[in-house]
Amino acid sequence: MLIYDIRFLFIYMFFVGNLIFVSKNKHLLVVLLSLEFIVLSIFFFFLVLLMFIDYDMYMLMVFLVFSVCEGSLGLSILVSMIRSHGNDYFQSFSML
Amino acid sequence: MLTNNNSNKMFFLFILFFSTLISISSNSWFGCWIGLEINLLSFIPLISNSKNLLSVETSLKYFLTQSLASINFLFMILIKFSLLKNFNMNNIISIMMNSSLLMKMGSAPFHFWFPNIVEGLSWMNNFMLMTWQKISPMILLSYYFNKNFLIFMIIMNLIIGSLGGLNQTSLRKLLAFSSINNLGWMIFSIMISENLWLFYFLIYSMMIFMMISLFFLMNMYFMNQLFINNMNFFIKLNLLINFLSLGGLPPFMGFMPKWIIINFLLINKFYFLTFIFMMTSLIIIYYYIRIIYSSFMFNYFKMKWVNLLMKNNMSLINLSSFISISSMILSTFIFM
Repeated sequence: MLIYDIRFLFIYMFFVGNLIFVSKNKHLLVVLLSLEFIVLSIFFFFLVLLMFIDYDMYMLMVFLVFSVCEGSLGLSILVSMIRSHGNDYFQSFSML
Repeated sequence: MLTNNNSNKMFFLFILFFSTLISISSNSWFGCWIGLEINLLSFIPLISNSKNLLSVETSLKYFLTQSLASINFLFMILIKFSLLKNFNMNNIISIMMNSSLLMKMGSAPFHFWFPNIVEGLSWMNNFMLMTWQKISPMILLSYYFNKNFLIFMIIMNLIIGSLGGLNQTSLRKLLAFSSINNLGWMIFSIMISENLWLFYFLIYSMMIFMMISLFFLMNMYFMNQLFINNMNFFIKLNLLINFLSLGGLPPFMGFMPKWIIINFLLINKFYFLTFIFMMTSLIIIYYYIRIIYSSFMFNYFKMKWVNLLMKNNMSLINLSSFISISSMILSTFIFM
């Protein structure tokens, strides 16, 4: 199967990342990893798009900063969850 | 960490307000996405500041849904950017962008996180979630929406918001489903004009503020607490007026924005949509009246061991009752 357009790769990566995000996992860390995978696919897409605008990569750096902030926020919530529940299994959600 | 609680909250609250302003007033879609990200980053510390299991689970669920929605939003922005479809509004890409914004707002069919999270937050955080967090996705929705898709989502919002609240005993979840229903009205008002949306939103947030401040002062989270109180008669009356105003009954304040929307609907011949708006409003008023009727007529107990001293706060309650009852009539004197 020949891929005629690079955009198919990005859509495929994005779709797979979303699929793992919504799948039933045992650990929370897998979900956060899939979020980072989607961020990676968007990073790649952004890179290719911005190459066509005379290599103007400043927006890419801003995107990277915000995505890293979001990833670290996810990890801090993971740490908070491990402090209170003791693990990061999804089965320990029973309150709501 | 326990001593400088208030200054932490003020800091994050300031950034929360600022993030909405960034998102609304940006020149490009990337700026909008940045505003949404800062919104998420500053709301999570506001809601996860205690060390019990409930708030951790709440902040986790909120983080997961909101981050997924904003990442999807950015991807759709990039697809739109690469396909160069900037001016045509009713296409597939606008469906994807609107879906991610609807997931940010808690609108149906992406509403399943909303009652869960509302159940886990305190009343003031709920107020923030139900009013301020809806501003930025709604205004972004108004910039690029797909009319047919949004009308379908509005119908789903109304039906789910009205039918979902029928089996609830927790006041927070009740207000959550009422919020989903009002989201349907608000999305439709955004499609009419942004001015009308602002009007509806201000009145809705005022009504929600009155109700939430009443529940917060009396520390009530569940419906059975409404029945076993030693409440003053005027506080119960205020509760009745606020519930009916939220449902949209005529002499009260909450009827006015719904009236304007129905006026628009009927003039432009949206008859089926008017029918759905009406019927779902009826179901909502049914379960409000069910609560108030029980509280006033059947369960009029005044248990002596529950002591609610409301003597210092009566002015707020009287003022809010006055505003709810008379503002619709007084507004006709202003604009005549």
